Amino acid sequence: MRRYEDDDELDLVVVGAGAGGSVLAQRLARRGWRVAIIEAGPFWHPDEDWVSDEAGAHELYWTENRVIAGNDPVELGKNNSGRGVGGSMVHYAGYTPRFHPSDFRTHSIDGVGADWPIAYEDLKEHYELVERELPVAGQFWHWGDPHGYPFAPHPISEAASVLWRGALKCGITMRVGPVGIVNGAFGNRPHCIYRGWCLQGCKVNAKASPYVTHLPDALAHDVEIRADCMVSSVVIDQTSGRASGVTYLRKGERTERQQRARVVAVAGYSIETSRLLLNSVSPRFPHGIGNNDDQVGRYVMVQGAAQSAGRFPDELRMYKAPPPQVSSEDFYETDSRRGFARGFSIQTVSPQPIGWAEHVAAEGHWGRALREYMRDYNHWTTIGVLNELLPHPDNRVTLSHERDEYGLPVTTFTHSLGENDRHSIDYSKKILRTILEAAGAQDILTISRYAHLIGGARMGTSPGNSVVDQYQRVWAVPNLYVADGSVAPTQGSANPALTIMALSSRLARHLDSSAA
Amino acid sequence: MSGTGASMPFDLKKADHLPQHREDGATRDPNWLPEQRRGTTPQMIGRYPDYDVFDAMETWDDATRAVIETRMNVPRAMSFFSHDEQATARRFCDLVMAQDREPRIPVVELVDDKLRAGRLDGFHYDDLPDDRETWRRVLAGLEQTALSRLGTSFATCADGEALRIVTDFAEAKLSGGVWESMNVARAWSVCTRAILAAFYSHPWSWNEIGFGGPAYPRGYMRLGPISTLDPYEQPGATSEDPVRATGEAEA
Repeated sequence: MRRYEDDDELDLVVVGAGAGGSVLAQRLARRGWRVAIIEAGPFWHPDEDWVSDEAGAHELYWTENRVIAGNDPVELGKNNSGRGVGGSMVHYAGYTPRFHPSDFRTHSIDGVGADWPIAYEDLKEHYELVERELPVAGQFWHWGDPHGYPFAPHPISEAASVLWRGALKCGITMRVGPVGIVNGAFGNRPHCIYRGWCLQGCKVNAKASPYVTHLPDALAHDVEIRADCMVSSVVIDQTSGRASGVTYLRKGERTERQQRARVVAVAGYSIETSRLLLNSVSPRFPHGIGNNDDQVGRYVMVQGAAQSAGRFPDELRMYKAPPPQVSSEDFYETDSRRGFARGFSIQTVSPQPIGWAEHVAAEGHWGRALREYMRDYNHWTTIGVLNELLPHPDNRVTLSHERDEYGLPVTTFTHSLGENDRHSIDYSKKILRTILEAAGAQDILTISRYAHLIGGARMGTSPGNSVVDQYQRVWAVPNLYVADGSVAPTQGSANPALTIMALSSRLARHLDSSAA
Repeated sequence: MSGTGASMPFDLKKADHLPQHREDGATRDPNWLPEQRRGTTPQMIGRYPDYDVFDAMETWDDATRAVIETRMNVPRAMSFFSHDEQATARRFCDLVMAQDREPRIPVVELVDDKLRAGRLDGFHYDDLPDDRETWRRVLAGLEQTALSRLGTSFATCADGEALRIVTDFAEAKLSGGVWESMNVARAWSVCTRAILAAFYSHPWSWNEIGFGGPAYPRGYMRLGPISTLDPYEQPGATSEDPVRATGEAEA
């Protein structure tokens, strides 16, 4: 791997080696930019570091301290937060749907949420590119902007088939995929072996994450990945107002280092990106970089992610095959008859024993009752939703009084549901129950939860309503960009990974053409 | 205490054995289950009497095997909980997981190991301290409640009394003293999250529930249709009597 000196003025320094940062670095390195990615977590060696074990996957998550607050606090850690080279895609399930065209104009169409300063069409070719790069497998997708996928759908398990048949009886269409799991063999990417451990890191290398997709190509084009280094601030030249680089701390060191760069891109995802901007205090930005209008850390969103499990006469063994199998976007768009704006998607999932125990415990069971349900594990199959939850300025990331191992302030993430959010969640839970009953479920258990993160440094039309412009540039700093899911003003009912990659693909093209 | 397949009181094709379908759901003794013959399960209770996840251990990758072996060998001497806390924590963990006899999964030892090593989960609620301090306060609270209600220690009070206290904790009905320093409902979720993760990370629990366990480098070939098993899997016990099932017994 190429190594750069702190004193080298790089063309680009990227903070965070996840979905957004990796694609940006790979694209620009291919165009001759000298790039380093600084990553807080480790550079994985999957053979030694990743295990086929739920509890053993603990190291893949961002498990540093964070505070959660609000009326409806969102659990972090394994639920939605990655750490290390590859980011949270190392432990995402693998679903890679596109956003719908309507997601970019919810305010205009439905009078809720926010319009993006860009349209679906601005991302379309990048969706297509990234789908070929992962590559995505799935049936033809007739929802949103209709499109096919580069690879055929995977075979599905009996556990998922049972749910699919239930949905069909209710008149709900489900299709196989889309997943970033190879249905073929590609060099360093063998075919999926259907072992079901997608959420613990794919040792097979069949599931797409930047670790196996874009970072190998980035390394081949002289990108340095500087792992185990926590970026502590973005440095602003107080005379010019431009970013001159970042300060960072190597694991185990207390002395701050500084990496110079011509362009800085922050890609730490909703919580760490907001935290870094807020922690980057200077005379020009006494409340944090880009925060003179008090926008940083606001409009952070998650998705409602209730899951319902049904009990069936035969053993279904849901632990076999990847958790993401069939999904539906029949309820994605607004239908005024439902009594709320926007909608939700439906996806099969399949908890392993610890996840299943949390599911059972969520219904209030413990002791003998819990053990009884747990012993029944192989007779159950699980289906979940992703509700679009609307952006709210008070759902935000702020700095806490608590500090991390480096002495840096950690964050508080405050989250409360709105009325529309509650209606969508309640309605979608009824749909899950209807599907399970139609499938013939003999008993049903439901857990209420949240998934995914988006927002915190959203793009908009002015510094008064956003942190970055339509090219993800921080309004007040001409060479500072945000390259992750923080920039999204809404997140629809789609899993965000593909969109985060597509945004970075678009951003890379813009940066390269504007530099030329 | 053990039955045979033919005398199981529940037809497992149906759901009548499940707590939501039974009047006595929460407290029914699982003594109707078949005797475990092969792999070890907690309390030797299980639905897969001829299954042992360790039969496939040779197919696990080295890293996974090492993690599981470390877990199986968790130190029995605890270092995070104090001597007094250990007794309270052991009783509490036994009740939450209904581990009323040997062999037991060493739940309290695994929780102690996690807290000692600081392997926390990446968040804490703003109305609770971090998980280590929450555990200490909960244990102090259980002891305080037992002393004030019964005049005896939580660790040594009668089973029914201890179960009542834990039930009140699960329903967030404990108050006064140290309980006032925390959100009791969320403290329950913090403790149970650690206990469930400890119990269901242990291979004995996988034997109990028929989970396939680690799967790398091997994967699964047989995803369906219904009840198609891979060579590493064993079917669960059923209440079916093979003689009667042929129909000849009727003749």
